[in-house]
Amino acid sequence: MATVHLQDSHTRFTDGVKVLEVEGATIGQIIDALEAAHPGIGHLLREGSSFAVDGELQPRGTFLAAVPDGSEVHFLIPITGG
Amino acid sequence: MSRTHVNCSVNGDAVDFLASDDTSLLDALRDELGLTGAKEGCGTGDCGACSILVDGQLNCACLMFAPEAEGTDILTVEGIANGDQLHPLQQAFLEGAALQCGVCTPGFLVAAKVLLDNNPAPTETEIRYALAGNLCRCTGYDKIIRSVQEAAVQIGAST
Amino acid sequence: MTATENPPKKYKYVGTRPIRHDGLDKVIGKARFAADLNLPGQLRAVIVRSPHAHARIVSIDTSAAEAMPGVKSVVTGADFPELDINHATFDESVNVMARDEVLYHGHAVAAVAATTIGEARAAAAAVVVEYDVIDPVMEIEDALADGAIIANTKNRTLFMGSDDESNLASFAPFSRGDVDEGFGSADVVVEGHFTTRFVHQGYIEPHGCVADVGQDGKASVWGSSQGHFAMRSKSADILGWSTDRIKVTPAEIGGGFGGKTTIYLEPVAILLSQKAARPVKLIMSREEVLRATGPAPAAEITCKLGATNDGELTTMQATMKYSNGSAKGYAAMLGAMSTASYKFPNLSIETFGTINNIPRSAAYRAPSAPQAAFAVESLVDEIAKAIDMDPIDLRVKNAVVEGDLTAMGAPHPKIGFIETMNAIKDSEHYNSPVPEGAGRGFGTGFWFNIGEQSSATVNLNEDGTATVITGSPDIGGSRASMALMAAETLGLDPMRITPIVADTESVGFTDITEGSRATFATGMAVTNACLELVAEMKSRAAVLRGVEVDAVEWVDGAAIVDGHDPLTIPEITAQAKMTGGPLTSTASLNAAGAGPSFAAHLADVRVDEETGQVEILRYTAAQDAGTAIHPSYVEGQMQGGSVQGIGWALNEEYVYSDDGVLENASFLDYRMPVASDLPMIETIIVEVPNPSHPYGVRGVGETGIVPPLNTIANAVSDATGVRMRNLPMSPPTVLKAINDAKG
Repeated sequence: MATVHLQDSHTRFTDGVKVLEVEGATIGQIIDALEAAHPGIGHLLREGSSFAVDGELQPRGTFLAAVPDGSEVHFLIPITGG
Repeated sequence: MSRTHVNCSVNGDAVDFLASDDTSLLDALRDELGLTGAKEGCGTGDCGACSILVDGQLNCACLMFAPEAEGTDILTVEGIANGDQLHPLQQAFLEGAALQCGVCTPGFLVAAKVLLDNNPAPTETEIRYALAGNLCRCTGYDKIIRSVQEAAVQIGAST
Repeated sequence: MTATENPPKKYKYVGTRPIRHDGLDKVIGKARFAADLNLPGQLRAVIVRSPHAHARIVSIDTSAAEAMPGVKSVVTGADFPELDINHATFDESVNVMARDEVLYHGHAVAAVAATTIGEARAAAAAVVVEYDVIDPVMEIEDALADGAIIANTKNRTLFMGSDDESNLASFAPFSRGDVDEGFGSADVVVEGHFTTRFVHQGYIEPHGCVADVGQDGKASVWGSSQGHFAMRSKSADILGWSTDRIKVTPAEIGGGFGGKTTIYLEPVAILLSQKAARPVKLIMSREEVLRATGPAPAAEITCKLGATNDGELTTMQATMKYSNGSAKGYAAMLGAMSTASYKFPNLSIETFGTINNIPRSAAYRAPSAPQAAFAVESLVDEIAKAIDMDPIDLRVKNAVVEGDLTAMGAPHPKIGFIETMNAIKDSEHYNSPVPEGAGRGFGTGFWFNIGEQSSATVNLNEDGTATVITGSPDIGGSRASMALMAAETLGLDPMRITPIVADTESVGFTDITEGSRATFATGMAVTNACLELVAEMKSRAAVLRGVEVDAVEWVDGAAIVDGHDPLTIPEITAQAKMTGGPLTSTASLNAAGAGPSFAAHLADVRVDEETGQVEILRYTAAQDAGTAIHPSYVEGQMQGGSVQGIGWALNEEYVYSDDGVLENASFLDYRMPVASDLPMIETIIVEVPNPSHPYGVRGVGETGIVPPLNTIANAVSDATGVRMRNLPMSPPTVLKAINDAKG
């Protein structure tokens, strides 16, 4: 179980809820669980997000990144650079 | 289009090449003579990446037509070092980290050489104005100016 | 000058300043940049560009051009496959070559290859394109207006799940706390509307490439970019080819700053070469670079801050509108997210990205952060003045530290923002009096930095020298950094290490050099490969000494076994034949834990009240590098970023005519800073190591460009009493502001 923090722009799928408790041991499982509960959000989180686990920014696309029990997961707008 | 046979001296070597009347000296140096040290950053004389010396005068090679080189004595960045002995400016640029991407470096070295040839102990302001025709987007100029100052000291110490 | 968290240096090579390995070739004119390669039988190509800023293409007739002397091949949009509108490379595909719709003045519509550049130009002029011209959508507010003309009919608003045509590239709000309550309880409220114009990255080397498609249908490409693997994959997408058909060899890159993270020419050159069965060289002119490659977004930002009289910043509310140019992007969202420097318990930012008939914007050093920080830091400065508090003290009081939230809600990892500001506060510059008649400004900047994928191979040679092979183009001294990290890990002198940047078939996949990631992530791959080599050398030494590997220690480049002489690297490599063969190691990773970097700048300026010209008298930049691997190139990044920001603040802007034609498409009229415009840029490297990197690297490339816009605006305000909210602060703008204030 992790505490997931969404962006405001994600909350149209979650009736405005920004912070959720979600089951999952990896980022991919967290996304799948969110998609099951809030259809439509999964694509956005997979294709259009960066994410941090307990504050550490993870590389985009690392859906196997481990989410230890009790973690804080933040889904972020994709971060790029120049 | 007919081409002109051009004879000149480049970095001490007598050379000749064929060039059409609308070929820039920069293109002739790069494409006919294979001297690609001088770069084309703008083609309009605004960036100084193609700085060369023609009969001792600083020029943008992109602003000269190749046939204008007839009978001239040209120095490019490839001719600044004395064999494998780097010019003090080249050494100072290396030690002072005065280059990042390095594409403007040939032009700066040529322009700085003219400056030090004519003014062996320039002030910072004189260096900044002498190099104001050369654009660098990486360094903010700081380490370039300091390296020219250092080269001036080295040249002064050796003469 | 270096300020460190833990003063004693613990490294032998990291933190030293050796001459960069690629330096010699660059000072004698031998380094080969994109335009420096010529192949036998090579053709020269020219792109045909739209004379209109916005149009439908009715027809293209290339028959006259094809019949011209010397012409060997011609391509148009019809030669490229159509990608699905949702394909990740769709926007780049239509940017490389327009299909049915021209999105900006200078948009590529066809290309010609001929035996000489003159013939190619003549043929390009003979390509007949019939256009149905449409009014261009040039300003942010024009794009957002009700009933606006659609600037790009293929745009769909990011993340909104809508299939409607729209000029909205993105829309996303960010919030926490309660801003109404925040402003209600604030003692001081300041607000303003801030504008910045399109600016260009301004790399001195124009885009260029040579492509050669062989009889086997495979393309060899030589080109300048920030990422040759991305060049390969994007070209493959755009051509509909498999990746293995394209090999890209990275030329030296003559500056990028984000602008060479995208591609413009390579698929065109490949197709022209394939059609002609000859190598094709395609080089942009400077005018083409300015007319058709990536500007940084223009921005319109309305911002309001609330604070208490004792200097607590309680509330921020903003509307940030950024133009992405002709294609969708994250610009406005990145701007909002980059306002991550202060705690602001109450925060609400609405972001709007727009589509305009301006070239598709490209990343530019800390993309979107300079514009947002211009607004926020200007207002923070106003609060400091309003409550008569030192501008650094105010910021330190509210600065984020580890665990505090960014604007997007995630907590910061270990950061050095306060340390960086304190470095300025302790500087000789800050503690010297402001020159007579001048003004002083302080400002800050932030950038996330990123990790992503990197590979490295390290080979130990027979004589104990080493080759470090990576896939990260060296845009500012990264070869030297790679060699230093390898040197430190192996215990080998960096001058006995040759760092090279290899082609797409000679090293593992590596993401683009962007986001200040090369020294961080590729450096981590190099370090990991070297750690494996150390382990391998210890086991080889154990064989040679006839002991268990546990009995071998690795100290300063040698294997130590009790009771024996040390076995040095050359001794181990010389006997590799006997102990198991060559010593080589490859590491690859997708790096997590990029460390955010903060910068704080201080400027003294004098403003000529008769002309409005701003002269920079003194400038100091402090930045948290984590650990400076090669301090000279860290300083160089700080100085270069500072001066790009100074240009953005004072002079640089795209000037468009009403019909969407760029009116200053040359280095004469697009006025970047020259040496005589500037003082020395003093630097203070702050080192708060990033715990997620073996040597503590944060990445230093991006952040330096963020503070100058706000720092100089704050200094001009201090000098003149007039608050500048529109960039650039060019002489006429400043003069007008001064005169308006006088009434």
